[in-house]
Amino acid sequence: MSTNGDVKFLTHEVGSLAKPPWLVKTSAGKPLEESDIEHARVWGEKVGVDGHEELVDLLQQDERDADEIARWASRYCVRLQESAGVDWIWDGEQQRSEMYAWAIAHSKGFEPRGTVRSFDNKYYSKSAAVGPVSLGEPYHNDEFSFLKSAAKHDLKIPITGAYTLAVWSYDEHHLPKSGRLGGGLSRKDEVDARRELTLDIARNIIRPNLEALIDLGATWIQIDEPGASTEEDELDVFVESFNVSVEGLEGCTFSTHLCFSDYNLFFPAIEGMAGCRQYCVGFANYDTTELGTSGADRPGYEVISKWRDLPYEPILGLGVTDIHTDFIESPELVRDRILYAVDVFGDASRIHVCPDCGLRTRSWDVAYEKLRNMVEGTRLAEESLNRAHAGATK
Amino acid sequence: MQAFVPGLYARSEALVQATRDLDRGRTTQQAVDEQVERDLAELITVQQASGLDLLADGMLRWQDVFRPFVEAADGLDTGALTRFLDTNTFFRAPSATTATPALPQALNGRYFAPLPAPRLVTVPSPFALAQGAGVEPKAVAEGVLKPQIDSTDAELVVLEEPFLARAESVDLNGVGEALEKLGGGPKLALWVTFGDAQPLFEQGLADLPVDGIGVDFYATRVNAIPEGFDKLLLAGVLDARSSVPEDPSEIAAFVPQLHERGVQEIALVPNGDLQYVSEPVARDKVERLGNAKEAAA
Repeated sequence: MSTNGDVKFLTHEVGSLAKPPWLVKTSAGKPLEESDIEHARVWGEKVGVDGHEELVDLLQQDERDADEIARWASRYCVRLQESAGVDWIWDGEQQRSEMYAWAIAHSKGFEPRGTVRSFDNKYYSKSAAVGPVSLGEPYHNDEFSFLKSAAKHDLKIPITGAYTLAVWSYDEHHLPKSGRLGGGLSRKDEVDARRELTLDIARNIIRPNLEALIDLGATWIQIDEPGASTEEDELDVFVESFNVSVEGLEGCTFSTHLCFSDYNLFFPAIEGMAGCRQYCVGFANYDTTELGTSGADRPGYEVISKWRDLPYEPILGLGVTDIHTDFIESPELVRDRILYAVDVFGDASRIHVCPDCGLRTRSWDVAYEKLRNMVEGTRLAEESLNRAHAGATK
Repeated sequence: MQAFVPGLYARSEALVQATRDLDRGRTTQQAVDEQVERDLAELITVQQASGLDLLADGMLRWQDVFRPFVEAADGLDTGALTRFLDTNTFFRAPSATTATPALPQALNGRYFAPLPAPRLVTVPSPFALAQGAGVEPKAVAEGVLKPQIDSTDAELVVLEEPFLARAESVDLNGVGEALEKLGGGPKLALWVTFGDAQPLFEQGLADLPVDGIGVDFYATRVNAIPEGFDKLLLAGVLDARSSVPEDPSEIAAFVPQLHERGVQEIALVPNGDLQYVSEPVARDKVERLGNAKEAAA
C-alpha cells in the first residue's frame, strides 16, 4: 500500500536467471564466438549496464578471469531486472554454480554422487551426506557484498533451505547401509534419519549463513524450499528446520519459496511456521491462460485461500508467470491473476507479485519479456483497484 | 533365477551434457543421437558382462515413462509438470481430451531400441497412464498400449506401475480388466515400483492376469507375498533411490526367504527406475545385481 492509500504491489524476482553464453563458455574454458560478444554488447545497451564496453573488451582477450566475468553477469542480471521494473531483485545467482551444488560445495560432510534428472533434459548434481555436516565458510557473503554496490533496487537474498538440501541428498551417514532388504527399515526410521540430517543442516549450515548475512546488512532473506513437499509425512521436519534456521534472528525478514507441488499438502503443517512473513509460491504453471477473474477462470489459484487463513497472516508472493514455457503472459493475464488473488484475500497489502520460480530455464529474451509484462500487469491491477476504490468513495 | 533391469536407466555425464547443449542450441540432434547410441552400447555391455538374462534398452530417449505415448497418441496431451512420487524428478502428467485415446501406430525403434534377444521392453501400466488423465485404465490399455505390445517381439513386457501402491483406493477389478486387454502376446509383468505392495496383495494383486508381479522389497515385507504365489516374482532388491551399493551376499541371502514363501520363479530387479541414481552408481548396481544372481544360484 502506498502512503496515499492507493494500492501499490511490491514485485520481486525469485532467484535464478540463465547464465549468458560468455559466462558459460568462460567458466568451461571454451573460446568465445563473435555472437557471444555481440550478446554482451546488445544486452549491455538494451538494459543499460554501466561500463559494459569494458566487458566487451575483456571478452575479446584470450585470457579471461571466470570470477570477473561472473561479476559482470551479475551486473547484467541486476540491470535486466531493474530495467524490467522489478522492485526487489537478486543477480540471477550468476556467481553460484547452482542452488544445491553451491551450498554443498561450501559445506563439509558431503561427497558428490553424480548427476540425476530433474525433468526432461534438466538435471542436478546430487551428493551424499557421509558424515557430520557443517559449514565450510559463509557462502553468500561475497556475492551480497558485491551486489550491494552494484544494485540500485533493494536486494532479497535467496538461500537454499535445510530441508531441500537434505531431501536432495542421499544420506549414507544416518541410514543403515545394510539390513533394509525385506522391509527391515520402517518409515519411522527413515523419517527420524531425515530429521537428524535436516536439523543438522539448519543449525550448522543455514543459520550461520543467515547470521553472517544479517551482519552484512541483509534485510530480506528468502529461504528456498522447492523440495519441501517431497515427502508428505515429513512436512513437520521442513517446518521445524525453518524455525531452527531463523528463530531469534532479528533485523531481517524471512520468507520461503515453494513451487511445483500439491500445495494442499502444506496445510496444516505450516501453521507452525509463524516466523515466515512471506510465502512466494508458483501457481501460474497450474492455471489457464484465459483472461478472467472468477474462480473458474483461475483454477491454478484455488488453493491461495489457505494462505489467507493462516493465523499469523503472512504475505503471499503470488506466482503469475510460468517459468516452464516461452509463452509470454500478457499484462492483462497477470492483472487478472492478481485481481483474483486480491478478491480472495480481501486485502491487497498481503499480496506481492513474482514469477512462479527462478527463470533460469528461459532465455534472457523470454525472461525479460515475462518480467516486463509481470510489472506492467501489476500496474494494470493497481489501476483497476484504485479506480474501483475511487469510484466507491465518490 | 533370472536378473534384469527394466525401466528408465540413468544417462551418462556425456549424454547429460549433450542433451543440455541441445536445449541451449549448442549442439545438434544428430550429436545427441550418436551419444545415445554410445550410452546404449555401454549399457548392453554392462548387462551382458553382468550375466543379466533379458537385455533392456534403458529408455534413454524417454523424457518420462509416459511421454512418447502421450505425444504419439490421439486424445492424450502433456499436462502440468508434476513431482514423481517423493523424488526430485518431475514428469508431465498425461491428460486426456477424449475417453478413448488411441495410438495410430506403434512407436518405432527410436523409443524401443532393437536389441539382441532375449530382451524386455518397459511401458507404463494402464493404471499409471490413466492416473489423473481422466480416462479408464481399460481405455488406454485397449487404445494405446495394446497396439504397442502387439508390435513387440520381446520375451517380456514390463508394465511399470509407480502409483498403485500409493493410491488411496484401488479398484483392482478395473486394473484386472485393463490388463486382460493386453494379453495374448508376449509375457506381461506388472512392476509395482517404490511402494509397499502388501495392501495390494491383500486385495488380490497376485491374481491379476499377468505372468509376473514386481515388488519393492525395500518397502514390502517378505511375508506380504501370499503362500502359493505361482507367477514370476520380479524381486526389487536394488534400491534405485539410494546411492549405497548393495551387498550381493546380502541379496543372495535374501533369496531363500522368497523360496520359503513358496515362490518358484524369481527375477532379481531394481525396485524402480535406475534413473534416480547417476549413471556410474547405476552401472555399479547392475554389476552387483549380476553378482548377487551368481551368488544366489
